[in-house]
Amino acid sequence: MRPYPFPLALGLGVLLALAAYARALGFFPPGGVYLALLLYGLLALWGLRYGAVYGLLLLGLLAWVWPWAPVLAVLLLFLLEARRLPEKAQGAFYGWLFVWPFLALLLIWQVFPTLYAFYLSLFEKVNFLRRAEFAGLENYAILLRDPLFWRALGNTFWYVLFTVPTGLLLATGVAILLNLRLAFQGLYRTLFFLPYITALTAAAAVWRWIYHPEFGFLNWLLGTPGLDWLNTPKGVFALLLEPLGLKVQGFLAGPSLAFLAVMVMSVWHFLGYQVVILLAGLQSIPKEYYEAAELDGASFWQKQRYITWPLLSPTLFFLFTLGLIGAFQVFTQVYVLTPTGGVLQDTLTVAFYLYNKGFRDADFSYASAIATLTFLIILALTLLQRRVLERRVHYEA
Amino acid sequence: MRRSLGVLLVHAFLLFGGVLMAFPFYWMLATSFKSPQEALQAEPIWWPERMKPQNWFQAARLGDSPLWGGLGPGRSLELRFPAPEGGEPPRALVPRTPGAFVDPRAEGTKVEVVYGEGAWRIRLLNTTGEAFRVLPLVVLWPKDLPLSPPLPPDALRSQGAFWRLEWVNIAPGALGYVFHNYLEAWRAAPWGRYFFNSFFTALTQVAVGLFLAALAAFALARLPFPGKEGVFVLILATMMVPGEVLLIPNYVLLARLGWLDTYYALIVPWLASVFGVFLLRQFFLSLPQDLFDAARIDGAGPLTQLFRIALPLAVPGMISYGIFTFLGAYNALLWPLIVTQSPEMRTVQLGLQAFVQEAGSDYGALMAASTFVILPVILGYFLAQRQFTEGIARSGLK
Repeated sequence: MRPYPFPLALGLGVLLALAAYARALGFFPPGGVYLALLLYGLLALWGLRYGAVYGLLLLGLLAWVWPWAPVLAVLLLFLLEARRLPEKAQGAFYGWLFVWPFLALLLIWQVFPTLYAFYLSLFEKVNFLRRAEFAGLENYAILLRDPLFWRALGNTFWYVLFTVPTGLLLATGVAILLNLRLAFQGLYRTLFFLPYITALTAAAAVWRWIYHPEFGFLNWLLGTPGLDWLNTPKGVFALLLEPLGLKVQGFLAGPSLAFLAVMVMSVWHFLGYQVVILLAGLQSIPKEYYEAAELDGASFWQKQRYITWPLLSPTLFFLFTLGLIGAFQVFTQVYVLTPTGGVLQDTLTVAFYLYNKGFRDADFSYASAIATLTFLIILALTLLQRRVLERRVHYEA
Repeated sequence: MRRSLGVLLVHAFLLFGGVLMAFPFYWMLATSFKSPQEALQAEPIWWPERMKPQNWFQAARLGDSPLWGGLGPGRSLELRFPAPEGGEPPRALVPRTPGAFVDPRAEGTKVEVVYGEGAWRIRLLNTTGEAFRVLPLVVLWPKDLPLSPPLPPDALRSQGAFWRLEWVNIAPGALGYVFHNYLEAWRAAPWGRYFFNSFFTALTQVAVGLFLAALAAFALARLPFPGKEGVFVLILATMMVPGEVLLIPNYVLLARLGWLDTYYALIVPWLASVFGVFLLRQFFLSLPQDLFDAARIDGAGPLTQLFRIALPLAVPGMISYGIFTFLGAYNALLWPLIVTQSPEMRTVQLGLQAFVQEAGSDYGALMAASTFVILPVILGYFLAQRQFTEGIARSGLK
């Protein structure tokens, strides 16, 4: 008996379905689909000798007119024949059947677009009116000389530098205190957690109101005696660093504190998430360690240093990675708080710049170049971070 | 002694932090009850007039219905301003201010000012033959008379020898008075449609995404098939791709499909959730193999094994997935902003964003809109607190 060529038939079915979709999207020359159809049809005809099983595959031929046909064919096949297959083939059949819908969506909407972004970035300004000219790496050359891109990247860098350590420090403190099992613990947790589930749009609208230059609550607060030194047009950073003899240039030294405002709001928003994750990490540390340490007469701080810190480091590492990746996607806060990117673009972030280029200036290829470069930067940072930091992270055996 | 002091200190710290965290919520809520003038005070108002119970009773007496107010055709309304007789009489008029929240029909109201029983009475008569819900009123009150309005004015200004008292709606009813900003914000945009879109998008994403992720996760955790390693590596690699890289290519794909400005555009690109596959795979891996062997001996196929055995045991994972996907979809701004144009396809967050820009300086209405936009999630949190925090905490598993 000849083995059932099921994986082959299924694989071809998947490919054909993808080809049919690609054709529907206008990516594929018709010839390619014809070739695939021919292959598939031959297979199906050849399979006819083995009974009704492959007859169903013939349905796949309809893919040309109706892209859902291969899907339907595979489903019918499964319903009718799967149980009659030999066990090994059955395993493979079900395995692929289960993975296939997810995989198809993943390929179409995530894997292919990643490559397509790079492809788009190789053309001159893409728009739908005229054929795009191939430009090679020119977009990247322009991008590397684009001061706005560097400003956006710098801002994003500052964003990471400020929000990630501040957030982690605050969250660790709060999580350790919440882990003490006090009264009103639930209330405190809720208070810290609520901002995170609040939509950024709404939260940013409130913060915008709090930051309002004339009627905002913050200005009133900063205007009260004792705090008014904060309300200086110089900017807090410049004010703090000047006595040390440091002249701050660039992003945060200007008269506008807009980006600092965005960052404070972001720390507020994400704190609850970090607290909850860290609490889960803290609660997974066995109580025995602390009890043993107490028997040995360890102080509160010693326990934190020698038990909590090493055992919490994987969680902190996870949150750090997340913060880094998140920083490159900061958009909503910036968009709502400073819809134009702030005075002199001082709140421009990478994601915001990408949005501006792609959807305000309708320059898809340039925006794709930004996206690809960002991807590479994140990739490099993540790998670097793994090399540098992960060695210091203590995973439990 | 030292210990209790420490506990007290910890409480003080946590309370301070908690108040700091909750303050924007309080400010949102308080502002959502403020009249425009109250909202634009340089000195912050902690407890606006519309939140004071004594005013609710006053408001309930004004307008046709004690709850929602309004003035029907031929109906009248009388306001008493206790004052000694004599001097210059106050003046009253229904203003003709062009604005977002004004009912133009209110202009046909007849206004009379008479004195009697130790008070100035302002009578408003609806002669238009139509009912209206918002009846604005301006009263010019001589400064030499004691000022005791029946309902605190929404704005009080000085105008020569007069106080200028302004009400946004003098026939509010109790609820109409308290929730004035909410009503106006709700009426200013098709929020019902926005809410439907948001919920439909988010719930479909949760349901379909969960189904697909469960299938894939089960295959990756429990079924041997050729190419499994490859699939897993591909999924791992996809995790490294930041969301913004997908914006433009996916937009182009949708444009080519002709799916822009449809539910497909909002839902389909986000159905394949790598996070969901990882989470559920973790759950399925932790189940003992004996369970599945026993089921197979009883004649259960992989589908039965998945839906009858594996999924019921992975409920916490499903809840985590559901919470994250729902939050992500409901709170998303950038993606709906890109792929939808028409008001019918916009989501709550876009509606709010547009409202923030259009309403401009009407911070009361703006904060009211923000409040009801975040309300479903906050309510959901209070109903399912434990699942919520555990779900979030589980997202940290490796």
